[in-house]
Amino acid sequence: MFVPCGDSVPDLAGCTLLMPAVSVGNVGQLAIDLIISTLNMCKIGYFYTDCLVPMVGNNPYATAEENSTELSINAEVYASPSKKLVALQLRSIFIKYKSKSFCEKLLSWVKRSNCAKVVVLSSSHSYHRNDLQLRSTPFRYLLTPPMQKSVQNKIQSLNWEEMEKSPCIPEIDDSEFCVRIPGGGITKKLYDEGCSKEIPMVILLKFVSEGDNIPDALGLVEYLNEWLQIIKPCCDDPSASALPWKMPSSWRLLFGSGLPPALF
Amino acid sequence: MNSGVWEEVGCAKLWNEWCRTVDTTHLSPTEAFCVFYHLKSNPSVVLCQCSCYVAEDQQYQWLEKVFGSCPRKNMQVTILTCRHVTDYKTSESTSSLHTPFLKALKTQNFREPPCCSLLEQPNIVHDLPAAVLSYCQVWKISAILYLCYTDVMKLDLITVEAFKPVLSSRSLRSLVKNIPQSTEILKKLMTTNEIQSNIYT
Repeated sequence: MFVPCGDSVPDLAGCTLLMPAVSVGNVGQLAIDLIISTLNMCKIGYFYTDCLVPMVGNNPYATAEENSTELSINAEVYASPSKKLVALQLRSIFIKYKSKSFCEKLLSWVKRSNCAKVVVLSSSHSYHRNDLQLRSTPFRYLLTPPMQKSVQNKIQSLNWEEMEKSPCIPEIDDSEFCVRIPGGGITKKLYDEGCSKEIPMVILLKFVSEGDNIPDALGLVEYLNEWLQIIKPCCDDPSASALPWKMPSSWRLLFGSGLPPALF
Repeated sequence: MNSGVWEEVGCAKLWNEWCRTVDTTHLSPTEAFCVFYHLKSNPSVVLCQCSCYVAEDQQYQWLEKVFGSCPRKNMQVTILTCRHVTDYKTSESTSSLHTPFLKALKTQNFREPPCCSLLEQPNIVHDLPAAVLSYCQVWKISAILYLCYTDVMKLDLITVEAFKPVLSSRSLRSLVKNIPQSTEILKKLMTTNEIQSNIYT
């Protein structure tokens, strides 16, 4: 359930909700971290649930001593009111058998809050790609029926590729075709629930492998930015370096502590 | 607990695969539990001794049972726990750290100064201590978690002594007698354990 930080419940009507799926390489979560950090979004509440493994730590987006001591938990909601953007960050994995319950609770909250649309940032195993997918862009999108009318033209003008359907049971020759997102965590569940509950939802994903997934996260936010224009280039020079995405302070030591000198 | 008279007021029973049976004649697992005591002289002070592992799919229910009927206003929670130092992330090698050392995490409503430095990013805490602190943060309860990073796997005097600064904190000092003699008292409490763990007898 959503619990606000302050005394009153913030008004999310008409906002775009960005959220990650806990998926291969944690790319969606890294992408949401980039967005929250770059836009300096403020925390507006918690999504308190029994579906995620509990964890706590100090403010992952701290920029100075003063703001480094605010406690963060496993599911928090941030907002940028000027851009009508709300971001839900998930920081831990689902407890066994609780992912479906989470999808239902989340989408009920989305409906009650009257969000304009939901954008799910996710990823899928790159080794599952077929020959055509190997030769094309690694980014894919999916739209639920309520979104198709409103954004189809814009998506087509961006030359984006829709996630292809593949055999539901690859071992059977005449198997039916359906959307499969291996390594995508709850992405498929969210998409199916979004379709059946008629929620305006867009899935954006990248084919990735596990490893240093920071470049994948940067790629995914740039892909999202092509459409939503969350941040604009700082100057008009087309040869200028990429957009100024700010990495949060919590991305330090992603691969563990320093090494003992005696090792060398 | 050595300083006052504590009365057992309840327990939370649970079972999971980590629970070890103490009854070797009956092979079926026994229920592990967390025991709750209150101070006879001041029953509003409650202590919970959790000697079992509370699994991730039990933590939420544990919280609802324990905190569900407590009034949230004016409640103050202190959590003491340990982790192995290899869990601690730092830019230097963990082998160069002076263990044991204490770190703290506090909720927004905790106003006192902590007894040690706060746990730096990117370090995080899991399991029941994290579940309790999350609950307190969300429901605006004043709470602090003291986490001791140690390099030993079993109870030892040096690790327990690392918690000494906590005994002098505003919330706990009225509960503890004879702080200067605490090392001697701890040695006596520890001796029983050491005899049992002597592998040469």
